[in-house]
Amino acid sequence: MQQSQEKIGIREYIAIITIMIATKVTDDTPILFFDTLDTAGWIAPFFNALIVVIPLIFLMKVVTRYNKGLIEIIDGLFGKYLGFLLLFIIWFISISALIIDTAIYTDIIGTMYFIRTPTIIIYGLIMAVCAYGAKRGFAQIGSAAWVVYPYLQVSLLFVFILTLSDSNLSFIHPIFGPGPIEIVKESTFTLSIYADFLYLFLIVPFIKDIHVFKKGTWAGFIIVIINVGIAFLLFLLLFDYQSLKMVNYPFHEVIRYIDTGFLTNMESFFLPFWAIASFIRFTVYIWINALLFGHLFKIKQFEYVIPSIATLIVFIGILPESPTYAIFELRKTLFQFTTPIFFFLPILIWIVAKLKGDFSNDDNNN
Amino acid sequence: MLKQFLQKTLKKIPTVPEESSTEEIDKKQSNLNASLKKNLDLFKEIYQYPLNTDIQFREFLLGNRKALLIFIDTITKTDIVEDHILTPLLASEDTNKKIEDSIPVKSIITKTVVKDILIEISKGYIALFIDGEEKAYLFSAPNFEGRNIEKSENETVVKGPKEAFNELSSTNISMIRKKIKSESLVVESSVISQRSNNDVYILYLSDVVNDKMLSNVRERLKKIEVDTVQTLGLLEQRIEERPKSIFPTILFTERPDRAASYIEDGYIVLLMDNSPASLVLPATFWSFYHSSEDHYLRFPYGNFTRMLRLLALFMTLFISAAYVAIVTYHAEMIPPDLLLAIAATREKVPFPAAVEVLMMELAFELIREAGLRVPSPIGPTIGIVGALILGQAAVQANIVSPIVVIVVALGGLSSFAIGDLSMNFAVRMSRFLLLLAASFFGIYGIAALFTVGIFYLVSIKSFGVPYLSPLTPKYVSSKDTIFRRLLQNEFFRPGYVKPKDIKKQ
Repeated sequence: MQQSQEKIGIREYIAIITIMIATKVTDDTPILFFDTLDTAGWIAPFFNALIVVIPLIFLMKVVTRYNKGLIEIIDGLFGKYLGFLLLFIIWFISISALIIDTAIYTDIIGTMYFIRTPTIIIYGLIMAVCAYGAKRGFAQIGSAAWVVYPYLQVSLLFVFILTLSDSNLSFIHPIFGPGPIEIVKESTFTLSIYADFLYLFLIVPFIKDIHVFKKGTWAGFIIVIINVGIAFLLFLLLFDYQSLKMVNYPFHEVIRYIDTGFLTNMESFFLPFWAIASFIRFTVYIWINALLFGHLFKIKQFEYVIPSIATLIVFIGILPESPTYAIFELRKTLFQFTTPIFFFLPILIWIVAKLKGDFSNDDNNN
Repeated sequence: MLKQFLQKTLKKIPTVPEESSTEEIDKKQSNLNASLKKNLDLFKEIYQYPLNTDIQFREFLLGNRKALLIFIDTITKTDIVEDHILTPLLASEDTNKKIEDSIPVKSIITKTVVKDILIEISKGYIALFIDGEEKAYLFSAPNFEGRNIEKSENETVVKGPKEAFNELSSTNISMIRKKIKSESLVVESSVISQRSNNDVYILYLSDVVNDKMLSNVRERLKKIEVDTVQTLGLLEQRIEERPKSIFPTILFTERPDRAASYIEDGYIVLLMDNSPASLVLPATFWSFYHSSEDHYLRFPYGNFTRMLRLLALFMTLFISAAYVAIVTYHAEMIPPDLLLAIAATREKVPFPAAVEVLMMELAFELIREAGLRVPSPIGPTIGIVGALILGQAAVQANIVSPIVVIVVALGGLSSFAIGDLSMNFAVRMSRFLLLLAASFFGIYGIAALFTVGIFYLVSIKSFGVPYLSPLTPKYVSSKDTIFRRLLQNEFFRPGYVKPKDIKKQ
């Protein structure tokens, strides 16, 4: 019975994965898919998943072989300078994604719920909560994620069920939208919906052991795909693809649309669940970001830079004038930029490891 | 640097012109003298005899040697002095007979250092000095006055034992021994304060308790360096990890059956004189949420109470905050008819909803606090004042709307369902924080503060045990968290206290 002080178990890990990635369905990610794929937008997450399995398998192979986190592996494989560069790119993508995502969430709250509240206050509150959570440490984030996860999942399920009664099954046709070839093409551009799985490989040292990591990642992967897929499908069935393209944040339109019994406006009922999910999501991101930052710039007690990173995010994030459009464009660019990195980096790592002969030679770790 | 410097300068003990007591302390550290006369003078000086009225010095002749008895007659059984000590000693002809063989008292110890003898006398022992001997014989005959065993008042149950701890630790220990008839139940005692010599008793099952945790507890008790620790409430504050935290980390219970069941699970229980309660450590969030009745009741009934308690917990925390948030920020959430009704009642009220609720909440807390402190003959007045003036008159005067009275009353009522005093405070204080968050940011603020609260809860530890375990992080346990399981299925001791024997037989 060792005390699992700093390391987290499988339940906490799966909760983190799901909250981190499945929460994406509640922002404007779905639009990126439906914009080009029309009625086939909901197939893309499943199709994407099939492709994403490839880099994930490669990464998993490398990580299980070394039994280390991706940070240490990249450092070991690519040496001081190239390793630094690679990690810096990952860090840069991570902080950009973090800034863009938090700006979007602030925009969601600002445009959908608190129209008169100044952006900086909403933004500041998000980042204050996340910075506080992240400073508590990773084990605590995991625990918090697991404590709230069941309720978040239930509330999402509740949304799904309520949506069903208003959805129209005929909106699904034509099933393949612009055609199967188009789906394959577009899917490869939007792989980065799952790019966050790359970050999970950075936190291997904080998971109980490598088997837990392996099992947890795949289990989390499946839960995420199911959640994302169902959500996309239901968005389509409720709005039809034409009007779905018009809305920015489909999830929030959905919870405005649905009703049950005497309660006709339920969005404020789902708001807290969504807000808690987003808080925990960004807490994980900001923590991982600080971890990378700490490694890059040799800061051992990296938890102390979290408040500074959070402040920085707020001030960069409020810069765009009309976030709903500007950030959407930025995000699209980032998505297209990260997709190839996400796909090829794992393969590259695997090849280098293979070339170095680490897969045959058991006593040499670097 | 600056902080350290400031701390150093601030911590320095100020020099106060006072008489030094080092001479007296030296005297107490010394060994006994062989001469009875010198010992007598020393003790008379220490005890300020004859100013001190209840200290007794009884001189007599033991054969041909002088002997002396010292005891405090308000805390010793004086009939023992007469019947069991003086009578046999005076009647004894044989001077060579050992003291142990001639006195029919259950426990006799010998001490040689003055300080140790003083401690024992203060505990109700009778000290016997004989001329020519450099030691004192101490006979146990304590007789402290106290209450009888009474019904438990703060943790009442319908189905279950009714007796509660009282202020005498010997009674308390006896009540626990009555429940755990096992040779492995250890009652360890240690003195924790320098001047008043307060004893604390550490109770545990030696073949179950985790040794590391036990030594951790001993260590913390040893670290206390103060003149006096009168009660468990004070001790709790001395040994807890986060004295400023809003959440309690040590369970305070007045029920011997509850303490006993924790001991059986591998927890450690602390008892003290003067405290009609016990401290159970380590404590998790669940120990404050549970009550002993949950397990005395049948499975469905027990879980029904748990469900009610959970509901009450959430109602207390969120109801007034949610009301303020919804009325102020999310009015569209309320069905139109109800919204109109609320609007109609609020029409004449000049305050924003947040102020209104805050006023009522404060009034409720005042009634509660006053009701607790008020002398019992005028107790009913509080009810009348509270219900009549604050409820009805405030509504009629258009200070608050009737719905606010309902909301606050519901929240207040629910708060009583959380039995544990410390957790009750924690919840009531958090409620005000949530109310503030709701008045500034609506439901979004509540969610933010709730998330912060969760992060805080999961980072608390009580003697190394995470606060929310076994929910997270996971440990082997009987899964007795929000709901309990069938007794037949609860066959593990909680893994987070790391017992030596995890499986209950």
